Amino acid sequence: MADLRDQTLGFRLRHEWPAYVYLLPVTVVLLVLNAYPIAYTIYISMTDFGTGGRGSLLSYHYIGLTNYIYAITNQSSTVLALIGNSFFWAGGCVALFLLVGLGLASVLNQPLRGKSIYRTLILLPWAFPAFITLLVWAGMWGYEYGIINGVLNSVGIHSVNWLLSSPDAAWAALFITNVWLSFPFYTVVFLATMQAIPKDLYEAASIDGAGTLSQFRRITLPYLMPTIVFVGLMGFLFTFNNFYPIYLITNGGPGLSTQIFITESYNDAFGAHGASPLYSTAAMYSVLDFLIIIVLTVVVIWKSDLTRNWLR
Amino acid sequence: MKPRRRRRWARLAKRVASHVILIGACAFALFPIYFIVVTSLSTLPIAGITAHVLVPSPSTITTASYGTVLYHLSPNFLTLLTNSLIFSGSSAAIGLALAAFTGFALSKFNFPGRRTFVYFILLISLFPGVLLVIPFYFMFSSLGLIDTYLGLIIPYSAGAVVFSGILVKNYMDSIPDDIEEAALVDGLSRTQAFFRVLIPLCYPVLGLAAFLAFIGPYTDFALAHVFITSNNLWTLALGIYNINSTDQGAQNYGLVTAFAVVMSLPIVVFYMVFQRYIIGGLTLGAVRG
Repeated sequence: MADLRDQTLGFRLRHEWPAYVYLLPVTVVLLVLNAYPIAYTIYISMTDFGTGGRGSLLSYHYIGLTNYIYAITNQSSTVLALIGNSFFWAGGCVALFLLVGLGLASVLNQPLRGKSIYRTLILLPWAFPAFITLLVWAGMWGYEYGIINGVLNSVGIHSVNWLLSSPDAAWAALFITNVWLSFPFYTVVFLATMQAIPKDLYEAASIDGAGTLSQFRRITLPYLMPTIVFVGLMGFLFTFNNFYPIYLITNGGPGLSTQIFITESYNDAFGAHGASPLYSTAAMYSVLDFLIIIVLTVVVIWKSDLTRNWLR
Repeated sequence: MKPRRRRRWARLAKRVASHVILIGACAFALFPIYFIVVTSLSTLPIAGITAHVLVPSPSTITTASYGTVLYHLSPNFLTLLTNSLIFSGSSAAIGLALAAFTGFALSKFNFPGRRTFVYFILLISLFPGVLLVIPFYFMFSSLGLIDTYLGLIIPYSAGAVVFSGILVKNYMDSIPDDIEEAALVDGLSRTQAFFRVLIPLCYPVLGLAAFLAFIGPYTDFALAHVFITSNNLWTLALGIYNINSTDQGAQNYGLVTAFAVVMSLPIVVFYMVFQRYIIGGLTLGAVRG
């Protein structure tokens, strides 16, 4: 409790020790199910565990940073592609989320007939479990039988081989799908923030002759800035490791063109890349992903006042 | 034109443009959902042809796909549903208890090491959950827990614990200390005050924490795909993935979409009813939706 903050360590220990009892279960869970597996992953990334014939599945050895050095010297194009794709994916998605979310929220934030109906309908995609709708979206982008090509054909546009022909088409499919999944959430969050802006600010501005656009720029945007920064940064961190859209729709293809760290790592260990699992490579990509996320988060905490109030 | 008239025209144009934008957004939002529902109700198709039926005539509407999903799947739908409920239910129960204790300790105690602890849980929660599957696989196979209920319930329970813990902490921060102090003055111990006074005040956020812990396993594929090998442990998520990826699915999109509707419906209703709480929670209280 706040009034105890100035007390000595011994006093605090005597009075606040029950906290440790309450935290015991979660500490055990986090040590066994998070800290140990993370350490284990770092260890595997420094072994030759299933490195495509170089180590065997039954006996593997500690080889230090060999995997990392090998990746940088011999597979730098893959590593660079993964870094580039991960940032492009997260950055591109967040830019679109903010753009669409802010745009629709501003349109909804005016007196308009049927507003609550629009709001409810727009919110629907968000209510569906993403895993399920992503499976359906994967089918919708299909070349031969997909409904999207079906609709395009009916207005006289030729079918596009969305997922297999070119990186651009595959990225477009991914971005559109992910915007569909996420724009409802961003729209409603921004709308809620806009509705909290005091109305008399706008009245005063319009008496002074400010138009819609300059009201948006001078009042709405500054007021929204903290929310935009917070939601945008959280969205970036989430999207950077958002596994299912890419795994279920392009699975990194065509080639490596839409592969990000998390899908590459999962596939190296459990799938798609042929019969022999590349556990140490998968672990190495996990570690690289983790390191990038840590650096980004430190920047977020350091730069943002908003995180401070729930870290307090 | 007189200025006043021009202003009226501008206002009308703005209103029309607003409706056009919103109708476009709604069409985008609803199209896949409409497609799912229509396809699930269409006549059992041959080789994906239903994918092109967007305006079905009333005579071709059938619930045959739903019949197949509910009664003729192997493993059958009831098994999948039961397994999903076992995994999600136990994960929700354990996750809820962990989140409540964590939130209470972090919110109402000023113990030495509190800040360090928050940074510690934040740091390790940054490791992507999907990638924990790799070390889990080796840990759990050496314990003989692969392909068992327990083997999935354990990692599932830990899934949302850090996020939910911070969620509960934030909520408890907003409950004045006076309330707890009044309970102490009335002769309750701190533990009693927690269970009898604070927990009832926290029902909304605890409900959200339970829901988040429930939804994770309900839609998990990454872990279940690796951990479950026998059919009788399959979950709904594995069921729909399998229908979708086998020939059965490619030839019969009606089944995939009917399964999608049945599996989503309870979640959609829950989301729409409790949207305010969920949005407030997902933004960690930074925005009250």
